[in-house]
Amino acid sequence: MEVSVLPISSNRKEKLISAGYTTLASLTTVSPSQLARDLKIPLQEALDILKFTLKSCGAEGLEGKHAALKGSQTAWEMLSDEQILRHISTGSEDFDSILGGGIHCKEVTEVGGVPGIGKTQLGIQLAVNVQIPVAYGGLGGKAIYIDTEGSFMPERAFQIAEACIEDTLANCVFHRKDFEDCQERMHPNSFLANIIYFRICSYTEQIAVINFLDKFLEEQKNVKIVIIDSITFHFRQDFEDMALRTRVLGGMSLKLMKLAKKFCLAVVLLNQVTTKCTEGTFQLTLALGDTWSHACTNRIILYWNGNDRHAYLDKSPALPSASAPFLVTCKGIRTALSHYKRIKMM
Amino acid sequence: MSVIRPENPAHLPVEKLTLGCPVLDRLLAGGVPCGSVTELAGEASTGKTQLCLQLLLSAAAPRSSGGLSAASLFISSEPPFPVRRLRILSFSLAGGEDDDLLDHILVGSALSADELLSLLRRADALLSLSQPPSGRPIRLLVLDSVAAIFRTDADDVPRRAALLFRVAAKLKEQARRFNLAVVVTNQVVDVVDGARDTRVGNYLNLWTSGRKVWPALGLAWANCVNMRLFLSRIAEEVPEVARSENFSGAGSWRRRMQVVFAPHLPEASCEFAIRREGVFGVATQA
Repeated sequence: MEVSVLPISSNRKEKLISAGYTTLASLTTVSPSQLARDLKIPLQEALDILKFTLKSCGAEGLEGKHAALKGSQTAWEMLSDEQILRHISTGSEDFDSILGGGIHCKEVTEVGGVPGIGKTQLGIQLAVNVQIPVAYGGLGGKAIYIDTEGSFMPERAFQIAEACIEDTLANCVFHRKDFEDCQERMHPNSFLANIIYFRICSYTEQIAVINFLDKFLEEQKNVKIVIIDSITFHFRQDFEDMALRTRVLGGMSLKLMKLAKKFCLAVVLLNQVTTKCTEGTFQLTLALGDTWSHACTNRIILYWNGNDRHAYLDKSPALPSASAPFLVTCKGIRTALSHYKRIKMM
Repeated sequence: MSVIRPENPAHLPVEKLTLGCPVLDRLLAGGVPCGSVTELAGEASTGKTQLCLQLLLSAAAPRSSGGLSAASLFISSEPPFPVRRLRILSFSLAGGEDDDLLDHILVGSALSADELLSLLRRADALLSLSQPPSGRPIRLLVLDSVAAIFRTDADDVPRRAALLFRVAAKLKEQARRFNLAVVVTNQVVDVVDGARDTRVGNYLNLWTSGRKVWPALGLAWANCVNMRLFLSRIAEEVPEVARSENFSGAGSWRRRMQVVFAPHLPEASCEFAIRREGVFGVATQA
């Protein structure tokens, strides 16, 4: 493809061509700083051009990242890659903003909370939101939902998908030529069909499915999120040998991290809470013990604050701890409306 | 062991078992879902067992009236099984002297966790029979109550939690494999004032007969059920005059069913009444 397809000013296109970047393929291997120097433009503009390039390539089904897969990357390249990556929205703006835009691909995120706080709701919401088409600001990907507890209800997923489609179309102010086309494709049933559902009934099945994912993801293109609801349930039954449990869980988290990187997808693990006795007082803590708490890149705790649901970013390598309220409505996870400052920094 | 295959959620079975009352069915978006574990928690005589009996009869009812046209398995840990009450209900709900209905209700008993686990394991064979004893497949499993089994051996807390999860895993596996509706009743415990409140579900506190309570077996068990319903009652306000004339004390109760948490239901509640003919929701004027 020619650079002329990029949605940038003709002035920039001229600069690109005169610097020798005539095809999109030639842009896929250049770093943003390199491009900025070559074209004598600000870095931000170079980044934008690369973003558009990647999008156009993506639309054509080209991977455009073979250079990165072959060898190592510089931190610069990783940063620009990350800026190009889109995040999966939780459905609530406040919730997204404490996460730096939403759930990140290539990372493992753990979500914990008491029964009824909305973990499964968040899981279903993410499985739906990951499917918002690229043209509407989403990832246009598929979801894998591994249900270990039997709480996934198709009728609820349908409801959330329906509301998501409605809101996505309502928020889209521009009429596109592919508008009708998209509308046709965006049917709740097709959203449901793009959630690949596994129901597992024991920890051996859970381990088997996770081992099988690597092969499965090679065949299934475009899966952007793997949700396990919950990682915990089958590991709280008969492990007499706790050291073995820790090793099994450790191996599982390592596999999931590798999958996240390899297939550029988000992994979301839902976890239960338990009470822990420390110094004579009982405190709520996420299940599976202390070693497990190192297993995930990000950790979000959902909790009640009076009558409001809140999300607290407990652990993140890049973002400060912060909390934000959210709602579970009939449409799914939504922004909580309130008068006071909504996001509290910790 | 079954092979794990990816499935399309749109094609998952989503049968619901009617509670035998349209008002209560509306509260639960159609009834008790098959394939998951539903808990009915409440203090003594709030109507847990009554509802269970009604569900046993509903399960035997034909599909055209919201039933499953199936047999059911009732596991009792609080004997005796109220068979006479069941018979009365069968007259009013099934509308006839149809004793066949009772043929489709299998009753077992388990008084300890070990007994329960071995009974559930043996039930696998029964559930997978192609020619079940009553000629119909079993599609409803009722455990009344889980609390009675686990509240008695509470000395070893970690072991108890592990056993709870094992029982829950077995129930969920059977719910899934045989597309069973699983209903488990639970008792409540009083909340000691000043204890740290851990809110579970839609309500900050659960009240019954003027007491603040928690469903028994703690947070561990709360993690084990897919859906929790809370049944409560409060004594009806009786005018002074009426009270002096009618000193029997057996005043009437206002009863309520609350959705504490459920993956597919919003926060909702509904008043209900227990009558001779069965348990019925009271429609509220909106």
